[in-house]
Amino acid sequence: MSPKLYHFPISGPSRGALLAARSIGVPIEIEIVDLFKKEQLKESFLKINPQHCIPTLDDDGFVMWESRAIASYLADKYGKDDQLYPKDLKRRALVNQRLYFDSSSLYVKIRAICFPIIFLGVTEIQQNLKDDLNSTLGFLDQFLSESKWVAGDNVTIADTSIYASLSSILAVGWDISKFPNILRWVQQCESLPGFAENEEGAKAFGEAVKKNLKQ
Amino acid sequence: MPDLYYVPGSAPCRAVLLTARALNINLNLKLVDLHHGEHLKPEYLKLNPQHTVPTLVDDGFSIWESRAIITYLVNKYAKGNPLYPEDPKARALVDQRLYFDIGTLYQKFSDYFYPQVFGGAPADKEKFTGVENALKLLDTFLEGQKYCAGNNLTVADLSLIASVSSLEASDVNFLKYPNIKRWYETVKSTAPGYEEANGKGLQAFKELVKNMMKK
Repeated sequence: MSPKLYHFPISGPSRGALLAARSIGVPIEIEIVDLFKKEQLKESFLKINPQHCIPTLDDDGFVMWESRAIASYLADKYGKDDQLYPKDLKRRALVNQRLYFDSSSLYVKIRAICFPIIFLGVTEIQQNLKDDLNSTLGFLDQFLSESKWVAGDNVTIADTSIYASLSSILAVGWDISKFPNILRWVQQCESLPGFAENEEGAKAFGEAVKKNLKQ
Repeated sequence: MPDLYYVPGSAPCRAVLLTARALNINLNLKLVDLHHGEHLKPEYLKLNPQHTVPTLVDDGFSIWESRAIITYLVNKYAKGNPLYPEDPKARALVDQRLYFDIGTLYQKFSDYFYPQVFGGAPADKEKFTGVENALKLLDTFLEGQKYCAGNNLTVADLSLIASVSSLEASDVNFLKYPNIKRWYETVKSTAPGYEEANGKGLQAFKELVKNMMKK
């Protein structure tokens, strides 16, 4: 039985878990949980995940959440080799560092901009939030100045996670022309399995933000 | 012996100290004077372009993000130790809790408390509710089990206790949650070297908060 992913394509972390699964090559059964309809608060979903967040994975009865933990688990369990999540301790530590960078910096700063626009009636992007995200993108650009991919010279689950986050804000129209290494890497990411599927969700996210932004 | 660049009051730094004590690893402690911008000097930026603490340097290999550091330490110095179990499902649960800490609990707390401490901002009610909601989740996770990822002490407990104990410096009453209260006492009495590794730094954090809030 394929692992089942409770998924909402607009959510960056949810796309991050799926994009990792696509690179890993494990077949995934998808069940959509529509956050806009608050389906995550249904009794049946709360029973499997009291934190009621997306994505949530059910692997033959083993239920877990947190997109980056899911990606790590799937790569360890179903990866054809260890390229996407290296067993070598230093390389693995670097992948983890980048995953935590995404979790606590990049994704958080993108969310700080977009969540109030989608849900709270905000219609403009404050300058301090803009600066915050750009300074985080500066770090990402620097990481990418040292290697082809975000955690070395091979694609890893740090790339799929970070790209899923970044593609959300790119779909809003964020200017990354000042970050040449990110620009180069974004082009490389077009070769990731599941890229088109991710773009579709990111586009819907971008539209949800843009329709509430004052032009 | 690995070098640890740290400041005593920082919760993520304390999580690394707790892990090192639990694994009986000696660290060469290097205090970073954030106040005088030591973390922005070229020699520190060379180790960690993101200029955060903690940063670990192990035989020339530099790694940051406390949770990436602590999992690296177990993988390298105590492979198979129950602090970071090798069974994929058990490990996935520990990772999930680590991401809960960085992305939810510590995030919500920082978001609520640090603008008050470091920016002189008034307490924000909504952000306070965010902290309470994170604590409710932790209380739920702890229902019916001794530690946050099962019945063994893991690095997730060490990371979370460093975060949760920091709430002592704030007006958030986390001990009203019965499972958290029980867990807090349990970890304090079972994490090796708790007082030295976390208690002392927590005291430094409380003093810092007191001084900053007076200004």
